[in-house]
Amino acid sequence: MQNVSGPCRVMAFARGWSPERAAPGELARIRAHLRGLAAELVFESEHGTWLCRPDDELVAIAPLGRARFRVADDEDAVFVVDPAGAVRFAHCQHAPIRDTLAAALEQATDVMLAQAPLHFTRRAWLTTCVVSGFALAVLSACKQKVDPSDPPPLEAARPPLPQELDIVLDVNGTKHPLRVEPRVSLLDALRERLQLTGTKKGCDAGQCGACTVHVAGKRVLSCLTLAVSVQGKPITTIEGLARGEQLHPLQLAFIEHDGMQCGFCTSGQIMSGAAILSEGRATDDAAIREQMSGNICRCGAYPNILAAIKAARS
Amino acid sequence: MNPFSYTRPVDEAEALRALAEPGAVALAGGTTLVDLMRLEVMRPSRVVDLGGLPLDKIDVSSGSITIGALASNTAVADHPEIKARFPVLAEAIDAGASGQIRNMASIGGNLMMRTRCSYFRDTASPCNKRTPGSGCSAQDGYARMHAVVGGSKDCIAAHPSDMCVALLALDAIVHVKSARGERALPIGELHTLPGNQPNIETTLQAGELITGIELRDAPFAKRSRYVKARDRASFAFALASAAVALDIAGGTIRDARVALGGVGTKPWREHAVEAALHDKPASKATFAAAAKVALADADPRADNAFKIELARRVIARALVLAGGVS
Amino acid sequence: MKPSVGTPIDRVDAKQKVTGTATYAADTPVTRVAHAVIATSAIGKGTIRALDIDAARAAPGVLAVITHANAPKIAAGKHGGAPNERVLQLLQEAQVHYADQPIAVVVAETLERAQHAAALIVPRYAARPVMVALEQGLNEAYKPNGMVHGEPDTTRGNFDTAVADAPHKLDATYTTPNENHNPMEPHATIAVWQGSDRLTLYDATQGIFGVRQRIAEVFGIPKDHVRVIDQFVGGGFGCKGTPWSHVGLCALAAKVVNRPVKLAITRQQMFSLVGHRPHTMQHVVLAADAHGKLVATKHAVISETSSFDEFVEPSALQTRMLYACPNLVTSHRLVRVDAPTPTFMRAPGESSGTFAIESAMDELAYIVGIDPIELRLRNYAEVDEQDQKPFSSKSLRQCYAQAAAKFGWAKRNPKPRSMRDGHELVGYGMAGATYPANQWPAGARATYRPDGTYLVQAGTQDLGTGTYTIMTQVAADALGVPVDKVTFELGDTAFPEAPVSGGSTTASTVGPAVKDACTMLKAKLAAMTPADRAAGQPVTAEARSEVSPDRQKYALHSFGADFVEVRVDEDLGSIRVARVVAAFAAGKILNPKTANNQLVGGIVFGIGMALEENTVRDRRTGRVVTRDLADYHVPVHADVPAIDVIQIAEDDPHVNSLGTKGIGEIGVTGVTAAIANAVYHATGKRVRELPITLDKLLA
Repeated sequence: MQNVSGPCRVMAFARGWSPERAAPGELARIRAHLRGLAAELVFESEHGTWLCRPDDELVAIAPLGRARFRVADDEDAVFVVDPAGAVRFAHCQHAPIRDTLAAALEQATDVMLAQAPLHFTRRAWLTTCVVSGFALAVLSACKQKVDPSDPPPLEAARPPLPQELDIVLDVNGTKHPLRVEPRVSLLDALRERLQLTGTKKGCDAGQCGACTVHVAGKRVLSCLTLAVSVQGKPITTIEGLARGEQLHPLQLAFIEHDGMQCGFCTSGQIMSGAAILSEGRATDDAAIREQMSGNICRCGAYPNILAAIKAARS
Repeated sequence: MNPFSYTRPVDEAEALRALAEPGAVALAGGTTLVDLMRLEVMRPSRVVDLGGLPLDKIDVSSGSITIGALASNTAVADHPEIKARFPVLAEAIDAGASGQIRNMASIGGNLMMRTRCSYFRDTASPCNKRTPGSGCSAQDGYARMHAVVGGSKDCIAAHPSDMCVALLALDAIVHVKSARGERALPIGELHTLPGNQPNIETTLQAGELITGIELRDAPFAKRSRYVKARDRASFAFALASAAVALDIAGGTIRDARVALGGVGTKPWREHAVEAALHDKPASKATFAAAAKVALADADPRADNAFKIELARRVIARALVLAGGVS
Repeated sequence: MKPSVGTPIDRVDAKQKVTGTATYAADTPVTRVAHAVIATSAIGKGTIRALDIDAARAAPGVLAVITHANAPKIAAGKHGGAPNERVLQLLQEAQVHYADQPIAVVVAETLERAQHAAALIVPRYAARPVMVALEQGLNEAYKPNGMVHGEPDTTRGNFDTAVADAPHKLDATYTTPNENHNPMEPHATIAVWQGSDRLTLYDATQGIFGVRQRIAEVFGIPKDHVRVIDQFVGGGFGCKGTPWSHVGLCALAAKVVNRPVKLAITRQQMFSLVGHRPHTMQHVVLAADAHGKLVATKHAVISETSSFDEFVEPSALQTRMLYACPNLVTSHRLVRVDAPTPTFMRAPGESSGTFAIESAMDELAYIVGIDPIELRLRNYAEVDEQDQKPFSSKSLRQCYAQAAAKFGWAKRNPKPRSMRDGHELVGYGMAGATYPANQWPAGARATYRPDGTYLVQAGTQDLGTGTYTIMTQVAADALGVPVDKVTFELGDTAFPEAPVSGGSTTASTVGPAVKDACTMLKAKLAAMTPADRAAGQPVTAEARSEVSPDRQKYALHSFGADFVEVRVDEDLGSIRVARVVAAFAAGKILNPKTANNQLVGGIVFGIGMALEENTVRDRRTGRVVTRDLADYHVPVHADVPAIDVIQIAEDDPHVNSLGTKGIGEIGVTGVTAAIANAVYHATGKRVRELPITLDKLLA
């Protein structure tokens, strides 16, 4: 490994892990953390060895070998290797590490951000931070039993910044505790804090409709809604419209009638359309066009959107 | 958007105390305030969220309807009693904004709506309304959307609300509360002309809260219509609009109300047109002649001079529709 | 096996789009990404004398405030000269060239903190007077050195002699305004540096390889150290075809703060940072003999460019080949204004130019006294008279005939103001549409996977154009397998290189590469022994397709015809399009369902151009006044009537190996003139200046 520039590499010997056994969303979260760290990850288990880069498919690679790293068969371990190939961090433990791996990556990102990078070269600094992050994560994981069915905390605990409020957003049936400044819009809370990026920011000024969601059953613009003002009210986003794998009739109609081109306005069109259908406002073509005029489609898919709404109505 | 302290009062008394604090503004639907705060046009240090107050009722009685200030635009426009007894109000609300905005926007917020002048909204452009004394960029600028009446050398920004135009035609009464007590005022006394203080837009004092509006049945109210001319078929502000209401008996106009949107720095009552309708036969000729006297004192710019003729034709169209003549 | 190409299968990415799981650039999850906001200039021309950034820097959560005074030195000015490369503003100088030019980048922990800190910056300027009105700069109009798709000036025959004696003449000037593309997705970039010289960009772009090239140039790093990823683009229409300043600024910010940075520009900034269609003034002269046959044509275009870079809107291009006319002269001149550099905007040249020439033909038809279709038929071009080449295929007569029949053109009383319905004046108008059929080289890769499915990849883009779907279909057919066995991936510079998705070229450019790669793979698999196949390894073939050599011998264009009914309120002047029937012949249509949507979408874009869109700059400051989607109108649902598109089958063996001509832009051409012609028919008023707003019909 003579690659002097490029990412630092985290290596995890995690018994029982394989891509098929990854929890839903686990790999996506790991990729997000790797992007934040500009790092890559190698998993090795009895099922195989994989290289995970944030934007590539997992690549099966030749085994590193537990013996070479002096990891016993009844142990899990994490190593951090810097871009020059030197092992900068090593930790072994008997408790399984795989459930805490994503959390460890997240912790490493937090630690990285808490450091002042002034006196390090970027490489050295990054590696040091990743190392510290892992050390904290694995040590804390050893002390507590991690229930794999707990939803992972989306936000690391941190002290509140000025004017921040603790609120709970009820989104698609799940309650999310959040600490937000009052000026954070519902749109930005959904996208940046809850990673629900299906709702789009087209103008941030209430003029395009791309950010349409349902709050307490009514279609509203999330860009002009302060997150703190809708705590406790049921919020539905595009991600919550389907019932599991069962798509909403309007979603199916959009597919059949090609109600989109670029797709950027589509979430808002569907949330708006679903509302006018359930409110009985989609009475005739003229009414549908008028009621939907708060959702702009620059690609001009309007005729197909109209057809989709009419199809879903019947 | 600047950082601010946020409170959500649970009752009117708490709200009034919060609104009396320096730098406090009321947040209802957010469609004006959040928009302007994001542009840094408004920078209140305290935001008082009224969403928890029980001010959204629509109270129907014989002789009048009282609408709470926090009733949504949609709820008002959908209300069967309002559609039957004050149809121009429902039409005007439905002609404004988009379905989503109408769901969010409150009646009180709509009364307090601020101009859409693009110079006002652009913090890099001089604007006396936003920064008193800095100048008016619209006077000699692009003034297509600006007012032809009610302006001054310091401001010609048009009032953008459709609902307010209808309320003006219906002689609506605005109910206001403060720690000092309650008062009621005709809507015509709510909005002010810019004069040399365009930063002042209403007669509301600090610490006052609009609690609702009251509509009183009148012979002209049921026969009322709203016509809006704009640059695209929907989701656009008025170039010129008219709310008209007629009391016709035996083919003669006994009473009339005519108010204009899109052309004034506040919703514009056309007493001259009303006078030209009074006691005349309800006919197309009457309506055409009456409409012609509108905006006699208009002071247009090159970009918006067309609004004068347009407004007259919009009035004529609205009168024909309300009058039921073909 | 029945081929998939030509069948209207559902868009293969539809499910992702309707469930909100399609990842656009700003959606890419990057843990703890920092947020960057661009602060822009208040003035339109001059210099920044001072920038007080103390309050901004001290604001909570702020990581950096980067200005020309402290920014690392990088190469913003030069570019390789490719048509879609522009001089950028990367905080390398104190000079201001246009209003809302970037003057600082603020990076903070949260978006809100970055936004507010940017508002705390206090600039002091030395402002100079601006000139932003083309009309004021006509004396300084100059001939550009070159133009992307041909020479600025052409001439054939002798225009001056021919025009002198002609019995029928039209001499008119048509103008189109400044317009902004306004795709629904604002431009956004996320920059992640690995070390000091490797960079991954998640960027909203129509050209991932162009971004890679430009950023590598700007930062002086090898281009294979830059990876650009964009799986879904929320529309572009040309403004995402060029790497603009915000991309470099985002990468710069990420370097300065040593962290991944996300920068999404605001809707307001889309009016200054990412190009626009320039204002044009087009002088058209048509001279015809007694029978309406053209004897002389002139189309002289003047448009705007910036003070520091050059872009030509080529509005006279189509006029060179559209009709038969022995004496024809065209020219393009530029006026420099204190505004950002314009760029390609959906059918650059053809959309603004067909407004002029197809309005002029309509006016000539009235002068001669014949039906506008008949006038066009009498002047039908059997060959491209400018390049003196036969058309590779041309079905324009069928377009006229089929669309006219479906529209009911025969019902039209040609007299203006002769048709009404209540208080609406009714008008019928028609116009021709056209767009060139271009093709470029491209690469693609096809892999057979051990699970029996196929993965096909190309470094191209899908901006709503349906690339995912049509390439899946092309691949499936070339492999001889059902579509559900094929996955097509795009939007990653790790895939074989393909050009920018612009100029209606993606189907014609990437399609042949996909076909070639899959054909190679199929042959490779067929040649394998059973033992090889049993080994269970993936098998890959990669191909690079070149431009079809046959093309040099032909003029290659799509054609169409638009028929529009408008209703004009006789008192209020408001105009609405009541229905549209259009026919297009664009070679082989790969998927009639996605193609229909694309062609209809182009017509909707044209409705906006005809009736609504106008970017207005304040003449005193150069600032855009119509700077958001409430002031800059694009069509909404209620503006759009039933639009009936007829796809005319056309078999063209010369254009490329798929027979496609591209359909992304032709929908915008012609329809603006059809609307203007219909308004004339309805009202008797000829409007030669877009947009046609009600105040122009009131008088």
